[in-house]
Amino acid sequence: MEIMRSSDVDVELTINGHKRELRLDSSVTLLDALREHLDMTGTKKGCDQGACGACTVLLDGRRVVSCLVLAAQCGGREVTTIEGLAPDGALHPVQQAFVRHDGLQCGFCTAGQIVSAVALLDEGRTGSDEEIREFMSGNLCRCGAYPNILAAIREVAGTGGE
Amino acid sequence: MTAVTGSQLVGDPVDRVDGPLKVRGAAPYPSDVRYPGMAYAALVQSTIAAGTISSIDTAEAEAAPGVLAVLTHENIPDLAEAPLTALGSPPRFPLQDDRIVHHGQHVALVVAGTSGQAAAAARLIRIGYQETPAILDIADPDAPVVTNPWGLESERGDVAAGLASADVVCDETFTIAAETNNPLGLFATVARWDGDRLVVHDSTQWPMMERRTLADVFGIPEDDVRVLVPYLGGAFGAGLRTWPHTILTALAARIVNRPVKLVLTRPQMFTSVGHRPETVQRVRLGATREGRLVALDHEGTSTIGTEEANLEPITMGTPSLYACPNVATHDRQVRLNIPNPGPMRAPGTAQGNFAIESALDELSYAVGVDPIELRLRNHAEVQPGSGLPWSSNALRECYLVGADRFGWAERSAEPRSMRDGTELVGYGMAGAAYHWYQTPCRVRISIGRDGTAHVRSAATDLGTGTYTVTTQLAAELLGLDVGRVRVEIGDSDLPPAPQSGGSGLMISLGNAVHDAAATMLQAFIDAVAGDEASPLRGRRPNEVAVHEGRIHLVADPSAGETYAEILARHGLDEITVDGEVQPQPPAGMAPAGAFAAHFVEVRVDEDLGLLRIARVVSAVDGGRILNEKTARSQITGATVMGIGMAMLEETVFDPSGRIANATFGDYLIPVNADVPTLDAVFVGEPDKSTPIGIKGLGEVGIVGVPAAIANAVHHATGRRIRSLPITMDRLL
Ligand code: FES
Ligand code: FES
Repeated sequence: MEIMRSSDVDVELTINGHKRELRLDSSVTLLDALREHLDMTGTKKGCDQGACGACTVLLDGRRVVSCLVLAAQCGGREVTTIEGLAPDGALHPVQQAFVRHDGLQCGFCTAGQIVSAVALLDEGRTGSDEEIREFMSGNLCRCGAYPNILAAIREVAGTGGE
Repeated sequence: MTAVTGSQLVGDPVDRVDGPLKVRGAAPYPSDVRYPGMAYAALVQSTIAAGTISSIDTAEAEAAPGVLAVLTHENIPDLAEAPLTALGSPPRFPLQDDRIVHHGQHVALVVAGTSGQAAAAARLIRIGYQETPAILDIADPDAPVVTNPWGLESERGDVAAGLASADVVCDETFTIAAETNNPLGLFATVARWDGDRLVVHDSTQWPMMERRTLADVFGIPEDDVRVLVPYLGGAFGAGLRTWPHTILTALAARIVNRPVKLVLTRPQMFTSVGHRPETVQRVRLGATREGRLVALDHEGTSTIGTEEANLEPITMGTPSLYACPNVATHDRQVRLNIPNPGPMRAPGTAQGNFAIESALDELSYAVGVDPIELRLRNHAEVQPGSGLPWSSNALRECYLVGADRFGWAERSAEPRSMRDGTELVGYGMAGAAYHWYQTPCRVRISIGRDGTAHVRSAATDLGTGTYTVTTQLAAELLGLDVGRVRVEIGDSDLPPAPQSGGSGLMISLGNAVHDAAATMLQAFIDAVAGDEASPLRGRRPNEVAVHEGRIHLVADPSAGETYAEILARHGLDEITVDGEVQPQPPAGMAPAGAFAAHFVEVRVDEDLGLLRIARVVSAVDGGRILNEKTARSQITGATVMGIGMAMLEETVFDPSGRIANATFGDYLIPVNADVPTLDAVFVGEPDKSTPIGIKGLGEVGIVGVPAAIANAVHHATGRRIRSLPITMDRLL
């Protein structure tokens, strides 16, 4: 397949409540725009193919894998990244729970896990362990922190479990 | 000496000290590094498995927007050989000539102003190949075979006679698919030259090895190379070599005279940084009617690249596992046109254990003895062969405590005898051992006037908890609160440390910290030696102790003063000391690594062949556990990888030698929904081989998991699966 010739476009993004104006190639993904153009490296790239969840961000409050979203499509929309979950220096309750329950090892999947977890809580998809496991299954963790991730989310959701 | 370490077996479950940074997305991984004026590189890889490059046309790529350079075998300068490492000879450098030895071999590197430009230009390179037949099958009779590649083959007693005298003989073959490490962090290199000095941010588990390699390759002094890796997105063995892409990126940075960044793609992670090789093993067990082992013969064969080396010691640990008079091991490697394998969590040991612990399960049925009782009957009270007592060994306790927590007693021995509705229920177990490994290590510690300690060493934290447990250990040995210790690692300019590998880092680094802490106390005592104002004047280290930064007399805790007071009175900003450890197997003891027993409940849907893991209990002897929380995460995380090895993971080579499933969509690793409740408990006592009493924990947690699962599958279904992964088709 021939690569389509792309061209520069101007986009105005709202990221974590701040307006950012960018001129970038129309083929640049939201993930690369964050990481390479805005130097916001908290959001990670684990595959660039939509299959690992490391790049998860909230777009108008819903979770998306930012490697499959073009930055140019995000004009006028609200993007929330891991850096925007809590005011400077503070930790969101989900971030605190991840630390307490050791829901991370290498930490590479962690931003994506936490952003997904925040969305899951908003969506009310945290009613049982099975539901949390199922709805967190788009976020791979090669270090195998899954049981601790579950425990962290369960605690914030206040859904007993064991 | 400083006060001996705490008497507790299991240390405080302190939160991971780098946790707050990581949950904010603020930990800088190599792929996050950016310099002004940085250029980006993209790799081009071969699309044949064997042959030569007949033509390579880079004109279109060179003319593409933003392109700064295209490196191929035709235009790069000669580089010197990389040195040998503890793992053997270095990776073959692919751009040394026009030969192709595997599909996915690097053939060019494109450097451009943006990552998009580099990737686009990489697609414009036209390569002509002269193809030759590739050897791709481990069973291919034309494949060259290396016998006894590491000189580790061994025999004690007379295996042939033992087998001949046995009441029962099991003779079985076990196969395990190739797997790929696939850390979530894409391996990345950022290289920057400052004149003749090179700074490299790289996904490595071994900064000191990488420093030496880059110095040799580029012909510069080691001191002029700095390797930085404060955080790493996992590696599981993939970061134990300096890979060609790292060397190419450093070369590119020199050629374009700008910092250059290369991030491997996920498909490239399958071809560029090693994988667990495919293996075939034959195990012959001979036993008495009561299940006492009389002979054990273990042959392990693994795949390897055509011109490469790889240490995959499948049978190395076998002679030490059980009390058996006659044991022989055999190692072979089969050379194929594949990307070279490399270490992946518990290399060799994980595969060897699957064969041995599966065979023992078969033996337990052959002689009608419970699998735990069978292992207890063959327990190695002392190290077999040498007859030396172990420096610690609570494997027996692992079996018993684990069985109790799991509820093994409720198991009915007969296969297919337990069921829950439409599901067959199976209970399986396996024992595990990981060998002792320690290497030289240095550390530097300063205590400053603010009463805090700064600990530094060129070690790494792959998610294993190095920052956290080093902080805790230093705090304990220096008598400080955890919050007053700062650990700095991941920088080759710091005192040399070994790799995060072989489960050997913490025992090395921890004992270096122990040594430094003793020197530190002596240094403070020396500082007040002539100080009439000090209640510590003229005291010896064994007469004092430190608590919350205050050194006091053991006999009279009210007499003492703080580190800060001493420094202030003497006009010192800080006292800095070095600590060092040289590995020394303890006299009169066999140094023991960690031991474990895993207990697994599986559920198998009879109609659909669907297998799921219902729960896992692991009992682990890791010696003294520094941090209960991070140690548990090491065990459960490794268990998850073991579940992947047992049920999901398989790197598939197609007939052309291409990896057919080199994405996360196609190569399946466990997801959250695959993983049940994982219970881990620590048993045993501090290990006697070193002062701090710890044993490595990074790998033991995966070792016995696949066998325990396969044994549970047999118990559930009556099907003995000797081939991993256990996929649905194997169960139907
Ligand atoms: S990087 Fe976007 S899903 Fe993996
Ligand atoms: S913490 Fe390493 S991949 Fe999840």
